[in-house]
Amino acid sequence: MQFRNTILLAAIGIGSLHAEQLDVEKDELKFGFIKLTDCAPIVIAKEKGFFEEEGLQVEVIAQPNWKQLLDNVITGELDGAHMLSGQPIAATIGFGTKAHIVTPYTLDLNGNGITVSNAIWEQMQENDESLDTPTPEHPISADSLKPIVEEAKEDGKKLPMGMVFPVSTHNYEIRYWLAASDIHPGMYTSTDLKGFTDGDIELSTTPPPQMPATLESGKNVAYCVGEPWNQQAVAKGIGVPVTTNYDIWKNNPEKVFGVTRDWADENPNTLIAVTKALIKAGKWLDAEEDGKLVNREEACRILSQPNYVGADFDVIKNSMTGYFYFQKTDKRAMPDFNVFFKYQSSYPYYSDGVWFLTQMRRWGQITEPKPASWYHEVAKEVYLPEVYMAAAEHLIEEGFLEEDEVPAADFDGYKPATDEFIDGISYDGRKPIDYLNSHKIGNKDDASLASK
Amino acid sequence: MADSSIKDKIKYALLKGIDVSGFKVLDPPVRLAFGEEPQKQVRDIAKYMVLPILFVLACLGIWTVMGPNHKTKSGEVPTPAKILTAYEDNKRFDERQEEKASDFIVEGAEREATLAEAEAELARLEAEAARLGELSDEIAAAAKEQMDARIAPLRSELESLKAKHGELEDQREAEMTALAGKVAEKQAEPAELVAMVREHEKIEDAEGATEDVIESRIDEILANPPEEVKEAQMAANRVADEVQHYKKRIAILTNENRNVKEAEYLEKIAKDEAELAAATEPKKVIREAKSIARNAERAESATTQTYPRTATIFWQTKRSLATVFVGFLIAAALAIPIGIMCGLNRIVMACLTPIISIFRPVSPVVWLLIFQIIIGAFFPDPEKHPLFVSLNQDKWFGWLPNPVAFLQTNPAMIFSACTVAMCALWPALVNTALGVSSIDKDHMNVAKVLRLGFWSRLFKIVIPSSLPLVFAGLRISLGVGWMVLIAAEALSSSDGLGKFVWDEYQNGSSQSFANIILACFVVGIIGFFLDRIMIFLQRLVSFDDGSATA
Repeated sequence: MQFRNTILLAAIGIGSLHAEQLDVEKDELKFGFIKLTDCAPIVIAKEKGFFEEEGLQVEVIAQPNWKQLLDNVITGELDGAHMLSGQPIAATIGFGTKAHIVTPYTLDLNGNGITVSNAIWEQMQENDESLDTPTPEHPISADSLKPIVEEAKEDGKKLPMGMVFPVSTHNYEIRYWLAASDIHPGMYTSTDLKGFTDGDIELSTTPPPQMPATLESGKNVAYCVGEPWNQQAVAKGIGVPVTTNYDIWKNNPEKVFGVTRDWADENPNTLIAVTKALIKAGKWLDAEEDGKLVNREEACRILSQPNYVGADFDVIKNSMTGYFYFQKTDKRAMPDFNVFFKYQSSYPYYSDGVWFLTQMRRWGQITEPKPASWYHEVAKEVYLPEVYMAAAEHLIEEGFLEEDEVPAADFDGYKPATDEFIDGISYDGRKPIDYLNSHKIGNKDDASLASK
Repeated sequence: MADSSIKDKIKYALLKGIDVSGFKVLDPPVRLAFGEEPQKQVRDIAKYMVLPILFVLACLGIWTVMGPNHKTKSGEVPTPAKILTAYEDNKRFDERQEEKASDFIVEGAEREATLAEAEAELARLEAEAARLGELSDEIAAAAKEQMDARIAPLRSELESLKAKHGELEDQREAEMTALAGKVAEKQAEPAELVAMVREHEKIEDAEGATEDVIESRIDEILANPPEEVKEAQMAANRVADEVQHYKKRIAILTNENRNVKEAEYLEKIAKDEAELAAATEPKKVIREAKSIARNAERAESATTQTYPRTATIFWQTKRSLATVFVGFLIAAALAIPIGIMCGLNRIVMACLTPIISIFRPVSPVVWLLIFQIIIGAFFPDPEKHPLFVSLNQDKWFGWLPNPVAFLQTNPAMIFSACTVAMCALWPALVNTALGVSSIDKDHMNVAKVLRLGFWSRLFKIVIPSSLPLVFAGLRISLGVGWMVLIAAEALSSSDGLGKFVWDEYQNGSSQSFANIILACFVVGIIGFFLDRIMIFLQRLVSFDDGSATA
């Protein structure tokens, strides 16, 4: 509570802080990231000097995997980090490592893809003739995959597939994609923490950079991962991306910037300053001129440095500059493959948090039924729109932002209901229980919980 | 006469030095230089120097020829020349950090001069980048044309083959339908139709296989664009990277430089002071005063800031060396006393044997995880912990420059060092115990006769006579420690060469493979020198010539 007051005070004090650095509590910071292109806002804020402008000296350090990244944030080795949207939520409710993590900033939308091995792709083409062209029509559902899964099951095998982390967007996306075509991806239970129970396939964790290698070795026949690891599979000729998460759920939230609650309480002004720098970086990344993303090429150049993402410039460029290769011969324009700022996307929406919670409940990671109010409470514990809005107000005051680039001051944090999913089911963040019960596969809860 | 004796002295001193340092291979050239049995020396040089050098060169030659022929999905195996390029690139990367760090602190006229220089260089590089970019595009376009020319006949062949197969298929389908009609009218045997369907499927598979052959030939051409395309692209990329670097340098020199920042704060203070003097309302006065205080604090902290550098292979190497050294010291400090006790007393030995036997075979990975958890608990807030604060501050007591500040010690380094210690402990311990327990009985008897006390027996007899074996153990320990460290760093992402290798593997860029092999050589060469140092120490304390351990 004290924290919220401090934010309020900081927000009130804006008049005197015009174009002025905030009085930060800590000016030398260490942020962690995983080698994925969607760490871009953090890297750009450092390299383009946006952190500097806020009086912050920031070191940006690559982490080996999501678990270690989270542990390093919790132990204080890192001040904050590039996190999967599900991570702060899962940590806060105690699925996996327990720690209260909060987020004031959504780093990006979309940016993932599902890639299948060449062999599976050929079989999918056999099952669905319309896929057998160099440029098949999108979105591709898992319908043509279902017979392959069933055939394997008859032989007593479950097809092995990969995702990057149990609470990652990728896990929920590939599950959503499979379940939308009636393939059961498996449930988590209190004793099965791998999520294999009742599954038609076996979905297990693999760190992103190893994904192409597992596809090549046959350890996985399909995977869901962020960039550049889908484009890498195309470049190496070992697999075919069949869909992006843009087609599974248009403009879905992907990564967030996370810090611990304690850190946020101790450094309220620093957190606002960091958020300001990230907003500037996001806006820089999405700057457009005549419908062209003007800064992305430079961003790719920076990201390709070995201490950041480190993949080849040309591979990073594929997806970052608004294109995506589905096959070597199939390059398509996807201007919204990575969204860092436009559509007011960097605001930390409560409704995003609720969606992740519904998925955790749907697949059994949350083992107990919970009332609707619980979903909203958890989302409010994790997402900090007040910090975002304080930062945005400073930036509007300083002339870096227009008022219509961020939600209005009285916005309640819930996006309007949308049905832009691959299966057309409508999602309204205000009604988590109804949403949970609208799916065919997965846990369903008693409708009476909706009003509790 | 005197002259030749001096010469002899120099010669024997040199030979002794060579012997102690373990570089026996240098022995013949020295003897030859002093004219000792020239024929024998020439023969020895040919046998023990020239031949090994030729052999290594031959290996490099085989590598150069074979490497590019082994194509992996991550590119072909880099040749020695590519490893050298990788080294140059890493060096350039390191220099860039250096340049940025110095841009961050440079002041006054020098800053302006550097800025002007950087701007001129940037203009030149941008022109160069544009030129190379175009060139690369041209080459790529030409290569594409050439590849298309190669593919076009294959494509048309494939098309005609497909058309032909399609026709044949239609024909067979028609035959089958006709037969099916007959079967339906009971004029033909169903078995005949089944046989026909089978035959049809077989033919279809065979036709598919011939199509696949052509398709895979097309794929292969597509997958292997001419080498010069890649080279042109890389050359263009290199210059573009340099352009990016100069842009960043200019940004640092104009905005981020600590002296520029300090000047900005001072300017703000001056403005605030003027406003404070003009202000009449108490509220405004206090606001200005607060602002002045804050900016003064910022101006002061700006003067001590340094550029946060990025880890390069050179820094990672230093850090690995420091970690292995710490780990090795811990191992030695534990192993020698415990080893001596075990050697002296059979009961102690019996007590410790089960512990040693169980823990010795445990994999370093397990130790790493255990230490990671244990050590983490000691440092709940590592940044404020006195150990790290004192190890990482710029100056000790405010004036003594801290020689280890650059290592950026953190808990990761401590648990890596502990893992090294845990694995390096055993050879030293076992060897020390063996050394002590195998001391000549006569020596111990003499000690008894002389009624030496425990301490003088320890320092006059036990330690000196067991030293050669102790050092032999320490040498193995250091080797084990170095090997374990790289694995531990790779696994835990603790800074060091292991992390460098792991990061490169994760980057998966076209340079990664070459960088990993480069790191392999760095690790190997350092390991070699560490071993030589230990041999040298071992020889110094040995009574015999120690040739058995060379």
